[in-house]
This record gives sequence, structure tokens and C-alpha cells, in this order.
Amino acid sequence: MTIQQPLDKGAAAADLQNSAAVAAPAATTSNGLPLPARKEPPPEKPSDVRRRSYIILSFWLIVLCLGLPIWWKTTTIYRADLPLQEMLDWADGKACRPVFPLRISIQANALQEQEAQNLLRLTQHALDDLNDFSGHHLRLQLAPPAASENRDHDHDSVLTIRLLPGETTTASFDPHAPVLDITYPPNTLPSPTSSSSSLATYVAGQLRSTFAEEQATISYLLSTNSIPSEHRPQGLSPDVADSLSKRTTRSLKYAPTYHLTFSLFTSGPLPSSWDIEDAIHQYMKPVLDVLSPIHNFTIDTQVQLYATPGVQNQVLNKEDLSSFINAAEWPLSPSIGGAPTINFVVFAGNQTIAVPPTQDSADSSGTAPAPHSWLIPQWGTVYLLSLPSDTAHLSSEALKQPLLTFTSHLLSLTGMPQSGSLPLRLSTLARIRSADLLLRASSTLGSLARLALALPSISIPSSVADGVSKTMAHLRLACETLGRPEGLAHARVAEAEAERAFFEKSMVGQLYFPDEHKIAVYLPLLGPVAVPLVMGLLNELKAWRKRRREAAEVAQGKKKE
Amino acid sequence: MKLSGVFGLPALLGAALVASASLAGAEHTSNWAVLVCTSRFWFNYRHLANVLSIYRTVKRLGIPDSQIILMLPDDMACNPRNAFPGTVYSNADRAVDLYGDNIEVDYRGYEVTVENFIRLLTDRVGDEMPRSKRLLTDDRSNILVYMTGHGGNEFLKFQDAEEIGAFDLADAFEQMWEKKRYNEILFMIDTCQANTMYSKLYSPNIIATGSSELDQSSYSHHADNDIGVAVIDRYTYYNLEFLETEVRDTSSKKTLGDLFDSYTFEKIHSHAGVRYDLFRGGAEAARKRLVTDFFGNVQNVEVDGAKNITALEEELLSLSRTIAALHRKADEQEAASQKNATEKAEENRVVVVQKKAQLAKPLTDENWWAKKALGLAAVAGCTLLWGLSSYLEGPGR
Repeated sequence: MTIQQPLDKGAAAADLQNSAAVAAPAATTSNGLPLPARKEPPPEKPSDVRRRSYIILSFWLIVLCLGLPIWWKTTTIYRADLPLQEMLDWADGKACRPVFPLRISIQANALQEQEAQNLLRLTQHALDDLNDFSGHHLRLQLAPPAASENRDHDHDSVLTIRLLPGETTTASFDPHAPVLDITYPPNTLPSPTSSSSSLATYVAGQLRSTFAEEQATISYLLSTNSIPSEHRPQGLSPDVADSLSKRTTRSLKYAPTYHLTFSLFTSGPLPSSWDIEDAIHQYMKPVLDVLSPIHNFTIDTQVQLYATPGVQNQVLNKEDLSSFINAAEWPLSPSIGGAPTINFVVFAGNQTIAVPPTQDSADSSGTAPAPHSWLIPQWGTVYLLSLPSDTAHLSSEALKQPLLTFTSHLLSLTGMPQSGSLPLRLSTLARIRSADLLLRASSTLGSLARLALALPSISIPSSVADGVSKTMAHLRLACETLGRPEGLAHARVAEAEAERAFFEKSMVGQLYFPDEHKIAVYLPLLGPVAVPLVMGLLNELKAWRKRRREAAEVAQGKKKE
Repeated sequence: MKLSGVFGLPALLGAALVASASLAGAEHTSNWAVLVCTSRFWFNYRHLANVLSIYRTVKRLGIPDSQIILMLPDDMACNPRNAFPGTVYSNADRAVDLYGDNIEVDYRGYEVTVENFIRLLTDRVGDEMPRSKRLLTDDRSNILVYMTGHGGNEFLKFQDAEEIGAFDLADAFEQMWEKKRYNEILFMIDTCQANTMYSKLYSPNIIATGSSELDQSSYSHHADNDIGVAVIDRYTYYNLEFLETEVRDTSSKKTLGDLFDSYTFEKIHSHAGVRYDLFRGGAEAARKRLVTDFFGNVQNVEVDGAKNITALEEELLSLSRTIAALHRKADEQEAASQKNATEKAEENRVVVVQKKAQLAKPLTDENWWAKKALGLAAVAGCTLLWGLSSYLEGPGR
């Protein structure tokens, strides 16, 4: 305040000598001495005025042209462009209609070309009439007879029907290849003019019942994901849906590799060794080999003596079974590699299960023998092995029963369908898994898109956009080749890429900053800088306007003169 | 009321449909627990004791260590001030050593940060992270999230250095829900003004409970004079009391409703809160959930039938064998044919390579000339400039 008071010359001189004590002499001056008449400072030179304007201008230029862009650049969150709409379309099932065109070839070497064509046409008609699910087509084709001689089954078609003349109409699966043998009495062949035939209807019915489970599973998958309802079949009866949901509860999420852990826990000191390697090779390896196009498996084994189960009762109730595993003390999760673990536990003790197994088997066999094993959904199997107390070594023969149980449980844990011949079940499993992966990758894309919309402050690095585009490319390919082996491979890549994009490591941070936070950070920094800047600009503007007014007055004055 | 009357019927129908669709989906197949203590230093002994006693409980009820993520920012058992080295007690009677000899701490010391916690929940971790430190849940997993530490209005302090906000927590849960990383979550928090922490949650299927309301402190239960500090908080103490006396094993049928009803102001000295509105089915359904659905590891096991399946399995086995053999044969054939093909291709390639070798010349003609031209132009330009400037300088002299 005191600085602004006009000073007389003496005081000003004193000030020059001791500029630190500006206030004190000024105060005494204003208090002690009578103020002289107000004396204006000499007028500023126009060059000084201009220089001051330049200075202020340059400050503002630096702030606006350098400071602001740097601030903007360093504080913006990098968000790569994602094709959000397309991603959401995938998630909603608009981008891809999952269609499984299954080709079925008919081998009818005993028939004339004409007759065979006619039968094929009629069967196709009957099939189309029966089918109510547009996503799952069965397309018949005639196998060239020449090809049929050197190969039983060609790889493009899912199933081959071998029509053979015989006594009665029968159907049976070839156990080794996806081939359905149908015999027919010659009189059931349709005449070239007839519009229906019992043989055609029979073949169509057989095909339909063969693929009923697959259809139901796929339509269940579609219905649990958000696929628009017009692509879905209508009639999925509640009990079918129920059993399907039970199966999906049981089966593990698809992973390209599973880790199998075989554990032997014994209640006492014996048995202390087992021929597990040999037993696996004999009783499980074949099935693992068959599954190898779909999954890889890694295996480890362990033996632990004096293991106490979680439940000590002699007779185990159903409630006890789920707490039988002593999770606190049994080393069951090896954390080896990145693959999910499936546990197979053999417990050598003398406990028994006191549960009537299931309703059906109790009904059918009257006195069902006591069960030895139970399956824990998405986890594995426990098998109770009661042995004579002096058994020191478990031979592979003794392990046969447990391992066969494990094998069949492994199949149900991997989500293998239950009906049909094994080759057919395998190919069905591959198709179900590819549909599953396709849907999962799509829904991950949708999640990512919704996340990007919902959290505007999350950063999206370019690797995510990369992953998204890769995912969509592979999804498109998978969608086109659905039902064929490449479909699974593409769906697998798509799913892996989608997961990687969603779980991008750098997409984390403390996301949420309230506005108070921002003010608290910026104000102490920018406030003191902004005040002189803004005041300087305002003063300058004021001065400029004043100068203009004066100039105008002068000009007017001149005119008047 | 009127509105609900009007919309009652369709809503009921819809609910019935939804229920029939989701009834089967409600089953969970795994249980996980995320137990987080957020404070270090000796005088916060009780927070570590809180977490460790919950850890003991979930372990007792069957959740394996691989499915428990335990975060301990400090090591009370080895603190030099600990009069009972190697042990942690949550009660002055010192009956149960919580540290014991079988404990798996996943995140320890300075690893317990907000970032790591959010990374854990959202699973945004690098390849280097071992499986045991990750929350590998799926849409069939029930998760218990228990947190304790020093908090305030809508935040929980981590290690005196940073804090997690209620918004961050809500966003993390939302990301989990989006990615189908849980079936149901029970969120428990014991801190001052704890109920504010779950007020911002917005993802479905979460039941949340906290120890104290806004502007209320959460108090410790009692101190152990030999240890010299308080050993447990009231809210956790009475939770434990319920779990230990009422939920003796996994077959217990006590519900979350029973647990929540056991909270009283007289016991806890603050108003414990519960939030049901996010849960599918609201308070009614949430209160009917069993305590062991979150604190235990209970699954619907499937008991096998009898021995008569053996024949079937053996058949399957022999089948697999032959099919595998067939596959192998086919593969070999394919490999053989491929080998032929590759051999042919190789021959071709050899020819091609030779051709290429013969015609060897710079790979990119045009670019080469362009580069030459550019270089020449640059040199010429520089020379010209130099000449010009020396010429201009010359006359001045």
C-alpha cells in the first residue's frame, strides 16, 4: 500500500540508497511531513510503451503456444481408436450369425446315380422339414464312388452314410470312423416319381437324432449369450436345458492346455509307491491322444503319506464329500505353468460312501454297489481305494479301475457330448468348443467396448487396438469356417487375442480423480503464475483503450480546428 | 405403490422367466477369497490380526490356499517389538497362533499397493505373475473380499502412502463383472466410515457390508497387555465369533441373514451396514445365501454310479486306441505326401534361388537412384550456399 503513495524527492533518494527499507521512510514521510503537491512522473516514451506490450505479448504467446500444448500433450490419456460399434455388433451377435453347415456325404455304391440323387433329394427335404434351428444345417451330398474305395471317410464331410442293401432297415455307427451304416430292403427305395419315401424319412430321422444333442448344446450356448432371438431355435425343453446347464457347470472353461495332476494320498504309511506312469500309459493315454487335436495335456504325479482327509467319518454322506478334500494341507495346486489344473485324487483308506448314487441306477439295478468316486465340477475327481492294509505298492492293474473312472470323468470335464459314436462325439466337441470360443471372444470384445465407453479416463494403448483388429479378423475367419477344423483354430486365436487385449497390463491406474483433486493440484501451481499474467494483460488492454480514446479525441480536436 | 401395482404382473412374469433362465446359472463351482490388510506399523497390529483370523476361518471352511489371496503389508510376527516372536494373536487369551506354520502370504510388504490390488481384481498382470498371485475366477466363482485398515469418507488408506477411492473400487468391480469374473461377491470392510466405501458400487450381484457409518469410527475390541497393542477390531471380532460358534463346518446351514442380524450397536459400538440392492433378487435372496457360499468351499459333487460302467469305459479305451492309431497313420501319410511336396518345392526353390543369384543386382533400383540424386542435390545445394555467401561477403570487404 505504502509503495503506491507518492514520494517526495528526498525520500525517493533515500529509497535508492536502501531499497530494502522502502516502506519505512515512505511511512514516516507520509506521517511526518506535509505532502507536496502531486507530481506526475514524466510521460512514458512511446517506444517503452510498445516494448511493454511486446513483453506482455511474448509472455502470452509462450504460455499459449508452448505451455498449453505441452500441458495438453503431457496430461492427455492416450486412447487408441477402437471400432466400438463393430465390437458391440460382435457381442450382440449382429456381426456373425453362427451357422454350422454340416456336410454329410452319402455313399450308395449299390444304387444307380439317378436313384441315389432322387433319394438324396427326398432325404434333404425330410431333413429340412424336421429342422427348426436355422443355425445348424445338415447338407447332404453324394460321395463319388471312386473316392469311397480308397478312403472310408473324406475330411470335408462330418459324417458319411453308407447305404447298403440288406434284409431290414437298420442303422449302426462304425466305431472307428464317423460313418453311419444303414441297411435297407430294396423295396423301400423311392421310385423316381414318388414324393416321399420311408427310407428317406428313416435316414432323416436317424440324422436328426444323431445331431440332436449337438444342436441342443449349440442353441443353449447361443441362448446363454446375448444372441438375438431370431437366430435361436424356439423349442428347447426345460429338462434338456436343465441337463445342458448341468453339463456346462461341470465342464471346464476351454483352454488349449490342461494340466493333469494325479495324486495318491494314503491314510497310513502304505502304500507308498504306485505304477502311475505305466497305468496312465495304458488306460488314459489313448484318450488323451484322441483329444490331442483339441487339447494338449501336461501331467504330474505325487504321493503323500499320512494324509488326513477333511472329513474323518467312516461313512461319508453326500455333504461330506464336498469337504473331503483337505485343502489346507494337501498340496493340490502346483501352480505349474499357465494351464488350469484338473485334479485326480486316489485316496487309499477305508472310508466308504453311503449315498445312493443316482436315481436311475438305483432303480435299474436294485442293489447298486457302493460308489467309489465322485466328480467335483470344474475341479476333478476323487476315488476312494480300499486296500488290504499291507499293500506297499500299487500295481498298474490295481490302478485300472480308478484310471478308467478318471478317463471318463476327464471326458465329461472337457465337455464331451454323451451320445453318438466316439469319432462323432469328438468332432461335435470340436464344433461346440469353436462356437463357445467364438461367443466368448465376441463377448470379450463387447466388454472391452463397453468399458472404453464407460471409463473415459482409462488409457487404451495401441496394442489393445492391435489385438482388437486381430481378434476381429480371426473371428471373421472363424465365422466363415465354423464347423470345420480351421474354425476351431481361428476361434482359438481370436479368443486368445481378445483376452490379451482386454487384460492389457497398462490399462490400469487409479482411474478416478474427483474435480476437487484436480483443483487442489493445479491451483497452487497455476494461481500465482496466472495472476500477474492476467493482470498484466488487463492493464495493457485498459491502457490501449485509453490511448485509442485519446487519439480519437485528438483527431476530433484537430478536425474542429 | 400404484406403479408397482400396474407393473406387477408383467414384472412378475418377467421375473419368473428370468428366474427359470438363471436358476441353474446361479450355481457356483469355486470359492475365492481376497483378504486385504492395508496398514503397516506395529500399532496397527490389530489390522493384520483381523485379516489373519478371517484367513484362518476361510481356510478352516475349505478354501484352498491357491484360491486365497492374502495381502499383508507388514510382518507383525517378526517385528522386533513382538514379545512373542513368530506369532500373531487376535485374542488376549493367546489360544490360537494365527501365523502358524502353514500360511501363504501372496502380497507382502510394499507389494500391497492400490495398483496391485486393482490389478489383482481386474487380472491385468504381466506374464511374470505366478498363478498363485492371481485371481483366476470365472463366471461360476463366488468371491469374498475382506478389507481392513484406516479409512475415511469414501477412501481406504494403503500403507500411509496412497489411498483407494470408493469410485476406483466400484470401477474395478464393474470391470470384473463385464469380464464375467464372478458369480457373486460378498464385500466386507472393517474401517472407520466403512459404509461409505461400498456406497459407490454399481455392479450387480454384490452383497456389501461394513462396520460403521459415515462420521463413525470403527473401534478395536480389546488389547493384550503383554503384546502392548489392541489385537482385534470389534466388527471383525463379532463376525469371527459368529463364524466360530455357528458355522462349525461346511455343512452349516446358517445364512448371511443370520450373520447380519447378529450385528448390534451394543456389540460393535458403531452402526454396521449392509447393502442388498445390487443383488439379484434383492434383500430376500441375499439374506438366504448360505454363509458357506462365501466363507467356505462347497460344491455340488456328482457321485458316480456303480461298477457297470467299466465295460463301457474299456470299450471306449480300445476305441480310442484304434482311432489314435488311425490318426497317426493318416498323419504319417499326410506327412509323407507333404514331404514329397516340400521336396518338390525345395527343388523349385533351389532353381529360383539360382536364378536370383544369376540376376543379382541392387534390390530396389528406383530408390537407389533417388537416394543418389538426393545426396547429390544436398551436396550441391550446400556448395552453392557457401559460394553465394562468400560472394556476398566479398564485395563488402
